[in-house]
Amino acid sequence: MSTDPLSASLPRAPAHAPRLSGGKGRETLQGLIFAGPALAVLGLFLVYPAVQTIRLAFYRGFGFKFEHYLGLQNFKDLLTSDPDFLDRSHFPPTGAVVNNLKWLVIYTLACLVFGLALAVLTVRVRYEPVVKSMIFVPMAISATAVGVIWLFVYSPDPSIGLINAVIHGIGGSPISFLGRPDTLNYAIIFAYVWASTGFAMVVLSAALKGIPTEIIEAARVDGAGEWAIFRRVMLPMLSLPISVVTVWLLINVIKVFDIIYVMAGPGGGINGGARVIAFNMYTEALVNGRWGYGASIATFMFIVLLPFMILSVTRFRSSRVIA
Amino acid sequence: MKRRKSLIASAVAIAVLTAGLTATAISAKPAKKHAGTIEVLSLWGGSEKDAFIKVTDAFTKKTGIKVNYTTARDFVPVIRTRLAAGNPPEVAIIPRPGVLADLARQGAVKNLATMGLSSGYIRARYSPAWVKLGTVDGKTYGVAAKANSKSVIWYRPDVFKSLKLKPATTWAQLLAVTKKLKAKGKTPWAQGAKDSWTLTDWFENVYARTAGPAKYQRLFAGKLSFSDASVSSALRTMLQILQNKYLAGGVQGALGTGFVDGIGQVFGKSPKANMYMEGGFVGGIALDQVNTALRPGKTIDSFPWPTIKPAYGHPLVGGGDLAAAFTDNADVRSFLKYISSSEAGTIWVSTGAIVSPNRQVKGGAYPNSLVRKEAKQVASAKVFLFDGSDLLPGSLGDDWGSTLQGILQSPGSMKSKLSSFQAKAKKAFSGG
Repeated sequence: MSTDPLSASLPRAPAHAPRLSGGKGRETLQGLIFAGPALAVLGLFLVYPAVQTIRLAFYRGFGFKFEHYLGLQNFKDLLTSDPDFLDRSHFPPTGAVVNNLKWLVIYTLACLVFGLALAVLTVRVRYEPVVKSMIFVPMAISATAVGVIWLFVYSPDPSIGLINAVIHGIGGSPISFLGRPDTLNYAIIFAYVWASTGFAMVVLSAALKGIPTEIIEAARVDGAGEWAIFRRVMLPMLSLPISVVTVWLLINVIKVFDIIYVMAGPGGGINGGARVIAFNMYTEALVNGRWGYGASIATFMFIVLLPFMILSVTRFRSSRVIA
Repeated sequence: MKRRKSLIASAVAIAVLTAGLTATAISAKPAKKHAGTIEVLSLWGGSEKDAFIKVTDAFTKKTGIKVNYTTARDFVPVIRTRLAAGNPPEVAIIPRPGVLADLARQGAVKNLATMGLSSGYIRARYSPAWVKLGTVDGKTYGVAAKANSKSVIWYRPDVFKSLKLKPATTWAQLLAVTKKLKAKGKTPWAQGAKDSWTLTDWFENVYARTAGPAKYQRLFAGKLSFSDASVSSALRTMLQILQNKYLAGGVQGALGTGFVDGIGQVFGKSPKANMYMEGGFVGGIALDQVNTALRPGKTIDSFPWPTIKPAYGHPLVGGGDLAAAFTDNADVRSFLKYISSSEAGTIWVSTGAIVSPNRQVKGGAYPNSLVRKEAKQVASAKVFLFDGSDLLPGSLGDDWGSTLQGILQSPGSMKSKLSSFQAKAKKAFSGG
């Protein structure tokens, strides 16, 4: 039984496999030693600060000190009496949380749809590598630089702003994308979509190439049209990479900050209308020195991120079994 | 057997490594700096930084003390983080008196009287208004290093001349000039309102001239409500000019235009507007960055902010930076002495980057007519009011800017915006 080569590579098998006496303890020790350095570094630089941050969320925390214990007061204030974070006094509600939800839905969907469309379409053209590299280039630019570039693109002055130059050229009057509360958020989201679509495209296009051509040809022989092939064959086979990309995009968007700071300014734009959760965390902790309150926002963010992180870990595990 | 040996070896290696890591973590206190070197932190980059380096180079040449200048564009977060980490710089040049007061009350900065800068020494060099800005609870913690006037209106002398317009000295004249330009088919104003501090500066100038210096001081010290009638009345005055028909691109265009782009709309190669309200530093930026073909007095000039209510005259709204010490030693003492001297001031103003609040610095040291004009305005001001939004604690100044953007965007919502801002201000002033 133990000579079966397959059972050794399956994760569940070892429980039943007979072992030499004393082998198990040694294996654990060995594992610990190999993982040890990584665990020590992670513990020191990731787990310890994270635990301290969560602890700090229960204090007032001025001067970064664990002084003036507040219990859950920070969280209560955050959810009930901080209009910058969540304002439920009117409908629809506004605030950083609501903006972050907008980001979550629009940014994630747009990146996926554009990424998938580009992946499917670029496979069919001869100059595929050129197109793909051009679309991927923004991934190599930092979010700060992306923000600066798009500040120029959106400028209401047709002699500076690319979009308004076009609008001006066809006889329209310029639109001040960042100067209107109703377009401000969407303009920033779009700039970030531009920067992230390349990632979705590259991952999905690699997955697309992994689909055996026989399957697609078989579908074609069976009389399936192009749309049916995409919808019934490609999409189901891409479901795993799509979900991996989605989780990555979601995590990325929940912690978005830099591009908004650059494009909307330290006050978060007109009426602070472009603020998101991470923006408030930065302002409260670093500008106002309310470290405890800032830590409670960070903790809130962590709680929101947690399910996505678990999802991504379990996804990776299942993908290993399939592959 | 061999396997076991290597196992033990790796275990030992890891133990050593872990111990090393812990040791580093424990001894991660700020490294003691080499004697004869001090670190100075402030927010200047680019040409402003180059100008300051010229000043510190002269200090190093004279004393042999090296100065490491660190730029922190986001000054407040950086100083807070470094204090929390127990690693502040020796000296910081702080752009906001509100921040200096915070740091002084926390005990983070030193009382200058104990560092050899007696009140007599400071009083000989600075006017009482400047001394007061560096004073917290009766003790002096900061000495003014540079100053700027924000009560300046920039205009195109060539256009004014061709239309036979004169610089305004009263609000009524300013409105008349605005209307005349409009009637001649020109756009009177540009405004870089995307950078919301340009709006707070507008408000401060109008408020100081309509409500008076006393109310101004109380408003920005948290002792007068932003829902006070004087605030909305000043805002309505301000909106007589900052409205769709007088602004390049209308209100929304202005809200989408940054500070430097706004300067470009008036002084660039293809100008779209004719007046711009911002501090004395506009001159330097316009000449160096926007359009090098500008000629002071011919295509670019400025006039002081006009009076609104004659009783309040010409109060000067301005900004300035205060040098404060986080460490007391001989090097820091001699640096503070130097930076408050007329010698340092003279080198600094000759770069054209700043105006010196030091009254021993002579007018001839300034390189062009635009800065000389500003220096004269700062020196002759009877009432000096520090930039109000910089006096507000924490992020409240930025919040005030976004609130003003919102009011510019929809003036009808002024009342509700002011009352929700007042709620924030109350919380921030009570220590949040």
